[in-house]
Amino acid sequence: MRELEILLASYDEMKAKGLECVLATLVHVEGSSYRQAGARMLVNENGDMVGAISGGCLEGDALKKALLALEQGQNKLITYDTSDEDDAVIGAQLGCNGIIQVLFEPIRDDQENNPMELIRKVVITNEPTIIVTLFNLRKSHLQPGTKLIIDQRTGVTGNTEHLEYLNVIRENASTAYNQNISLFREYHVSGETHHAFIELCLPPPTLVLVGAGNDAQILAQLATISGWNVVVTDGRSTHASNTRFHSSCQVFVSEPERILDNIHIDRRTAFVLMTHNYQYDISVLRLLLNEPEISYIGILGPKKKYQRMLDELENKGIQLTKDQASKIYAPVGLDLGAETPAEIGLSVLSEILAVLNKVNVGHLRERKNPIHNKSNLEFEVENV
Amino acid sequence: MEKSRKIYLDHNATTPVDPRVLEVMLPYFSEKFGNPSSSLHVYGWETEEAVEIAREQIAGSIGARTNEICFTSGATESINLALSGISEAYKAHGNHIITCKTEHKAVLDTCNHLQEQGYDITQLDINREGAIDLQDLDNAINKKTILVCLMHANNETGVVHPLKEISELVKKRDVLLMTDATQSVGKIAFDTEKFGIDVAAFSSHKLYGPKGVGALYVRNRPKVNISPYLFGGGQERGLRPGTLNVPGIVGFGKAVELCSREMHDDSERLGRLRDTIENELSVMSNVQINGSKSHRLPHMTNISFRHIDETRLIPSLKSLAVSRGSSCSSTTIKPSHVLKSMGLSDQLALSSIRIGLGRNTTEEEVRIAIDSIKTTVNQLRLTTT
Repeated sequence: MRELEILLASYDEMKAKGLECVLATLVHVEGSSYRQAGARMLVNENGDMVGAISGGCLEGDALKKALLALEQGQNKLITYDTSDEDDAVIGAQLGCNGIIQVLFEPIRDDQENNPMELIRKVVITNEPTIIVTLFNLRKSHLQPGTKLIIDQRTGVTGNTEHLEYLNVIRENASTAYNQNISLFREYHVSGETHHAFIELCLPPPTLVLVGAGNDAQILAQLATISGWNVVVTDGRSTHASNTRFHSSCQVFVSEPERILDNIHIDRRTAFVLMTHNYQYDISVLRLLLNEPEISYIGILGPKKKYQRMLDELENKGIQLTKDQASKIYAPVGLDLGAETPAEIGLSVLSEILAVLNKVNVGHLRERKNPIHNKSNLEFEVENV
Repeated sequence: MEKSRKIYLDHNATTPVDPRVLEVMLPYFSEKFGNPSSSLHVYGWETEEAVEIAREQIAGSIGARTNEICFTSGATESINLALSGISEAYKAHGNHIITCKTEHKAVLDTCNHLQEQGYDITQLDINREGAIDLQDLDNAINKKTILVCLMHANNETGVVHPLKEISELVKKRDVLLMTDATQSVGKIAFDTEKFGIDVAAFSSHKLYGPKGVGALYVRNRPKVNISPYLFGGGQERGLRPGTLNVPGIVGFGKAVELCSREMHDDSERLGRLRDTIENELSVMSNVQINGSKSHRLPHMTNISFRHIDETRLIPSLKSLAVSRGSSCSSTTIKPSHVLKSMGLSDQLALSSIRIGLGRNTTEEEVRIAIDSIKTTVNQLRLTTT
């Protein structure tokens, strides 16, 4: 979602300067590719590009296709086959072995629900949202483009005209939402075929740092670079100060018992207890145990500290359930041999990412399966 | 008084450009005239895109990927490029090529040329039905065989070779399979993937597209190597350089797309008309249909009439445009090599006509043709006896 924000900011700048632009969206990948479906790039009439749809090998040709789409004033779908070693278009070979479909949409800024305005709504909502992009793998056919957004609260927004199978799209969107994945569909409608990318857009994860010391500073920096929302809290006003953290971080001073008053918790919220103050940390931990949505609670410090916390809780009659215990990572971090605060920050952030993505940590080279999960990448056919 | 045009029944020689094909071609002669290799401006981008759409239309209709289609000037060029290019690229593996006696001259003459250069060429025999014996093919393959080149449908008789079976046999022996699919693409199902074809040549003007454009399908997985014999601007992946014939290619793509859509209905209708012709002419005595009736293109027939003055047959069919056989060898009146290979005598081969029906052929035209042929044949028989 952070990438969408950056595109949106560029779009607003381009619009203010009166520059026309084209949105390029990677709508499907078969085989392997550096970027996955949902990667986007914005190109303006001067050929300036923001965002990326590949590791760099496709951007050159994509620029040309974007400007052609702008010239012709119509959407177009282009197929890039990176498995073809002789392909003059792609040139430098990544050895990716993928077939990549890119949709180019000239943006009409006078249109209320143009693709960038729909993206604006997704960004503003800051909730899990489905973006529905319709296209046709026969590139000479009509390419409807980014048509709708669907979220749990406001329902469907966008251009639903001539969309006879909106109900089916809605059903697919709720499947995507419930299963927490993006989906691909092939709709057969009265002899015609339409393809759809039902894209689940998640807001960035939220990292709550309880403790605002130097080690928290550097962890906040790493999370900010990754596009995450960062919240920092501490009892010490000398530490929990806006001057010590990036402007995008939410920083506040709080007593441990009241810290949750200012924090919105969802299933992509992670906490790290790192005040270096035993009493503060355990007070916060007691609160967090009552928040079932939290996916990750990291506690800085040795195993002994955590054991002491468990013993103290038990003395107070609090026995951790299996579910509660499974979310607690103490000592915090992956075993990377980290020493410096920055290295420790990296090991913590890596661990949180793995937990949020529900993956087992290991080397990619040990993986038997492809790096990216290939389930749900097939077009499932729906007769509507 | 203006003479009325002859009824065109020679659609195996060429076809008229479909008006829907002509329509999509026209802008590419005038306003959209850019060179698809011009990468710095919209004139080039739009014609490059048009070529890629055509490539997709063609690839999609024959079970190929777009990067497996190379545009050429026609089937003859495609065949020359493939035969010469494969023999050059695989010369370290061997020098033996297997083909068949009933191939088009584009194949046979190129093979003769390769033979003069030291390649070893085997021409398989066919039976009276026009079919090869798969056992003969298997026996002909040796350690030096690099390529088997067998046409899909014959241009004179319409006899269709069983490419799938041929491919299974050839693949077992680790040899490449090339096919001249000029008469079949757009007329009957042709699928490079299902048939297991490595290289295929075909042309636009046989399927209601413009003349001067053709294609060569070259399998990419596993990759088939072809050495180019033209060098230049690197177009078509360097396999066939030279500025692309954009209007022709656009028309070719559209023509193939229309054929895929209409092929089924067209072949049913034309098959019925062809059967009517054969049934009605067979009522006369001494008439012979040439080629296997069960493995044949639906829209054509090749018929021999015994005991007639063969020199006067075609000139006497004044209202019809039909062919004696292979049009490429028709400057000198020689009996067809295809019919002779099937065991016909010189005289009977010369007493044969090929009727090729097409998208615009009407029932009325067929009726006139039947009457005209019956009358002419009866007259020629009367005068010779």
